[in-house]
Amino acid sequence: MPQEQKAHRSERPQWEGRSFRFTKQTGLFEVIEAAFDYRGDVTLELKDGSRIEGYIFNRQPGGSEPYLQLFPKDEPGNKAIRYTDIVAVEFTGEDTAFGNSWEAWVTKSEAMRKAEAARVRAETERRGDL
Amino acid sequence: MAIPVSQAVTVASYVVRQKLRGNRHYPLVLMLEPLFRCNLACAGCGKIQYPEHVLRRRLTPEQCWAAAEECGAPIVSIPGGEPLIHPEMPEIVRGLVARKKYVYLCTNALLMERKLPEYTPSTYLTFSVHMDGLKEEHDMAVCRDGVYDIAVRAIKAALARGFRVTTNTTLFEGGNPERVRKFFDAMMDLGVEGMMVSPGYSYQKAPDQEHFLRRNRTKELFAAILGNRKKHWDFNQSPLFLDFLMGKRDYQCTPWGNPTYNIFGWQRPCYLLQDGYAATFKELIETTDWDRYGTGRNEECADCMVHCGYEASAVDDTFSSWSGFTRTVKLTLLPSSR
Repeated sequence: MPQEQKAHRSERPQWEGRSFRFTKQTGLFEVIEAAFDYRGDVTLELKDGSRIEGYIFNRQPGGSEPYLQLFPKDEPGNKAIRYTDIVAVEFTGEDTAFGNSWEAWVTKSEAMRKAEAARVRAETERRGDL
Repeated sequence: MAIPVSQAVTVASYVVRQKLRGNRHYPLVLMLEPLFRCNLACAGCGKIQYPEHVLRRRLTPEQCWAAAEECGAPIVSIPGGEPLIHPEMPEIVRGLVARKKYVYLCTNALLMERKLPEYTPSTYLTFSVHMDGLKEEHDMAVCRDGVYDIAVRAIKAALARGFRVTTNTTLFEGGNPERVRKFFDAMMDLGVEGMMVSPGYSYQKAPDQEHFLRRNRTKELFAAILGNRKKHWDFNQSPLFLDFLMGKRDYQCTPWGNPTYNIFGWQRPCYLLQDGYAATFKELIETTDWDRYGTGRNEECADCMVHCGYEASAVDDTFSSWSGFTRTVKLTLLPSSR
């Protein structure tokens, strides 16, 4: 059933494509909070030089050792990463919530709505979900 | 009465046991989301917008059964995504029924008629079909023509096979009460056991006065729809929750009443807001700061009157106050006395 959630507030992709590098912890918590709200993949660069891309589904900013959890894009399972290991955050994936609000839908023309419905239908048929 | 006596007795005895134990944060309905993939893309749906690799992930049957056992709620509602896409859904449902959970399998019905042979009719299993109104309103709500007709066919097929069938309906501000009343007539004429209604969730930053007005508009809408209620309408939900929607009773949210479990874990604080996840149900209950959520406590909860926050509050009221109990009995025996 249609339910609005906080990820749909904006009708502009505020974060997609942006990247942030941290020399200290300044700003890191705020950016991770935004990445947690973001409905797309992010890429994290870690202290050891490695990079990991995935969907951040949880974060624990409190406690003695703040950490986040993400589903890696190309691996099963999930990973926990300490905030102190992160040196850069990039919003690399598409913001899947962008432009998908009810308000956006009703303001589209009839032709655009039909085209979008046909596209979704074709995709679901291709996956075998219809 | 819309639900079987055995279900009513099970739920009532469960709630009384929780009250006797002094357990304030008890779950009533487990919201089990085994996948987020859907075969519709309803505008505004916040449940399906994830990267492709997340949409490919699913809970296993064992994870679903473990969540149901850990949580202990007598009712398990399975929304999604579209649960009927999950290849192991019949096995998941069989396992939950074997554990004597009352399962509400929520579906948009696109696959339902084809999948019915994979399920066995049971008092413990109900197909809860998403219907947001008559054909025009429903097809608009789900962003695809023809879905209403498919759902009606599926409902008839399920009833013919002996399944319990209910409908679930989300109503938004600006709904037409007369059209909704005709829709209720149409659903009851189909022969469904009962209907479930809830206002949709919306969130907009606004001053308190605007939130107050918005909640009032929701109450006016439901009062117009449910006032002078027709005798043949049956609702598969607490009569006090309907009173709440009509503005006749006031409740605070009890988000722990409908805990949500999905591929990310136990969702804080509720089915609609995502403020993080706990690894276990115990951790969810014990470490969530519940006082941060609910009307008047959190901006994001200001307009919310949704079933997943307030129906458990209504059920709790039935067993917490004499007025709640007598009102529930009266409305159950004489539903049109509202």
